[in-house]
Amino acid sequence: LSATAETVEERESRARRLRTAAVPYLLLVPAIVALAAVSLYPTIDGVRASLHRYRYALDTGYTGGDNFVAVYGDAVFWKAMATTVQFIVCTVSIETLLGLLLALVVARELRFAGLIRVTLILPMTIAPVVVGVIWRLLYASGIGVVDPLFQALGFDAPNVLAHGLSAFLGLVVVDVWEWTPLMFLIILAGLHSLPQDPIEAARVDGANAFQTFFHHTLPLLRPVLLVAVVLRTIDAVGTFDQVYVLTKGGPGTATQLISIYAYNTAFLFSQYGRAMAMLISLLACLLLLMAAAVHFMRRSAEIAE
Amino acid sequence: MTEGQANQSTTRERKMSDKNAKTPKLLKQPLGRRDVIKRGLAGTVALAGAATVLSPRRSYASGAITIGSFQDNAMAPFRDYFVKEFTKETGIAVNYNETNYDTWYQNCKNDGLNKTGAYDIYVMDDNWVPEFAAAKIVQSLDQLGFKANQDILPKGLEMGLWPPKSGARMKDFASATPELYSIVIIDDVEILYYNADHFPSAPETWDDIFKVAQTTKAPDMYGWSPRGLKGNAIVQTYLPLLNSYGANFVNEDWTPGFAEKAGVAALSRLFSFIPYFPEGAAAFDTAEETQVMLEGKCTALTEYTGLVNRVDDPASSKVVGKINMATTPKQEKHGPAIGTFIASIASGAKNTEGALQFLQWFTSSKVQLEFARKFGGAAVTGSALTDAEAAGKHRWLPAIADSINNSVQKPRTPDEPKMEDILGTHLNMALVEAIAAKANYDAIAQAHLQAAAGEITDYLKQQGGYF
Repeated sequence: LSATAETVEERESRARRLRTAAVPYLLLVPAIVALAAVSLYPTIDGVRASLHRYRYALDTGYTGGDNFVAVYGDAVFWKAMATTVQFIVCTVSIETLLGLLLALVVARELRFAGLIRVTLILPMTIAPVVVGVIWRLLYASGIGVVDPLFQALGFDAPNVLAHGLSAFLGLVVVDVWEWTPLMFLIILAGLHSLPQDPIEAARVDGANAFQTFFHHTLPLLRPVLLVAVVLRTIDAVGTFDQVYVLTKGGPGTATQLISIYAYNTAFLFSQYGRAMAMLISLLACLLLLMAAAVHFMRRSAEIAE
Repeated sequence: MTEGQANQSTTRERKMSDKNAKTPKLLKQPLGRRDVIKRGLAGTVALAGAATVLSPRRSYASGAITIGSFQDNAMAPFRDYFVKEFTKETGIAVNYNETNYDTWYQNCKNDGLNKTGAYDIYVMDDNWVPEFAAAKIVQSLDQLGFKANQDILPKGLEMGLWPPKSGARMKDFASATPELYSIVIIDDVEILYYNADHFPSAPETWDDIFKVAQTTKAPDMYGWSPRGLKGNAIVQTYLPLLNSYGANFVNEDWTPGFAEKAGVAALSRLFSFIPYFPEGAAAFDTAEETQVMLEGKCTALTEYTGLVNRVDDPASSKVVGKINMATTPKQEKHGPAIGTFIASIASGAKNTEGALQFLQWFTSSKVQLEFARKFGGAAVTGSALTDAEAAGKHRWLPAIADSINNSVQKPRTPDEPKMEDILGTHLNMALVEAIAAKANYDAIAQAHLQAAAGEITDYLKQQGGYF
């Protein structure tokens, strides 16, 4: 009888422990449902769409890997991918350098540091489509500012948006203008969180400003820089509004990023399957990039230890 | 504590005690986790149920109709005046919703595919008709018993037919009888705008425009202002030339006609105006193209009818009363591009009768005459566009009528946007190259048109249903 009573008590105790352990998971259920609804379901549906053919706006059924074959055989797709990579390399590297420089300047106790900070982050607060309109007006020949400025300085009017290379560089300038503040903010936060002991010790030991920066500040800042670069890269892949307003991907295909081409393919040409095949390929590339970044960060941390 | 305060306190305590006495047993029990979850779920379900029951619902009982449209200045009289007039005359209320072009295209497509019934009438661009009719996103007006007004100009009316009455047809619809799926509501078409200071009378041919262009001196005056931006923009510049040289965008067998001799000659003619273009024309869209004319800095351009009101508006124009209109110039023939505003009844429309009544009413000769006389709008009926009183007030109306009658439609297929994108990309590349080279126009035109033709043919073969 005593043994049976113990068993019943043990069972009850086990059930109580199980219930206690289950509560956190139950509380997570709403978040998981929300995440599945807004993130997981669209991704799964996107994969499904990439394996289907659409004709006359209707899903005509499973088509295997045909969309991927068509996309990988499309020269315009590869050109758009190449342009996207060039755009990201140019913008993210310039933004990181400028953001770092600005953060180093503002991190010092300047008199108007607060005002400078606010002024610097203003471009980031403007909607990208508005940024596109502003710069289209600035670049516009005749009514804009850029061409008359060049002419006043004795140069030929560049007609920025009318030539492939200048249009591409024009877009880079717009992106740098808008997103350098983001890099600046992240790096500035990173600079403020750095331990001061090693830097002060270096100064006491007679290291000059350059030596302190390159041997102490920069290595300590590396994880922050990596996070900033990864975040900005992911964001830059989705650049759309400014390009759509400024060039629509032209002249020719000189500024056609993959986001513009995928958008046109889905919503202008009604080829949802192909557009999804493009975007899934892009997602795969991004996941690889992120995995490489995480690996690099872990290795950096291990080396630092 | 005063006596009164003591009494109040006692009363409060008594009330609380009474409350406790009346408190159900359920509320006295300690709450467990399971209870919290159960009651939370029950509460959520109850709230959701209440929200569903109590939420405002649209009512169709009164015979209201809902019209959806994209935003465009040309729609202003329709939206602000005629919709209200219809309600006054019939008692049928009209809910009018508009959004930007791209969003509206997706919204109405989804609404029609899923038969949601959020809208009764879609205002559409005419190049949506092939896709919307083929996918039954919209209903056949013929099958609904709609009787098209015989006064509507035939070229405008044809834009609502699927499959098309003339031109290349997709194989799936080769033998089908054309049915009216959409009815034209604004006859938008490309017309020639020319500065009367430079042309004593309406120029008839491209040569007439060219002769005057040669007399202009940049940057004070340009001979031609084009839309050169890639895609739809530059295609709109090229089409009146292409059509006037007697070439087709595509031939009856879907082979690209623009790459033939006449198409190349048309593009070379466009390039011959390069010395008289404003700087940066290869990046021009409508805003930049028309700004040059409104500033009084170009002698001529081709554009849709949306510009007619702006040229005489002192707030935006330095050439008030100086710009006249005519049909686009000819080489072999006149060939303006047509791009009508067109309306259909949604597949899931909840008030089909009301929608039919509205379309019949708005396209009637009486209402169209008012549209032309009062607003100078691109009416769809011949009687309105040629009405002496309307033309006296709005000098562009006869040019619109003439242009509609001479207009040439683009290929009628759901793949037309992709075809236009390919052609428009190559035209833009050719223009950039020609501007830089300032010579070899024929060779540049030939090379890029051939490349575009090859890409379009490959794409159509991949899509199937053409060859």
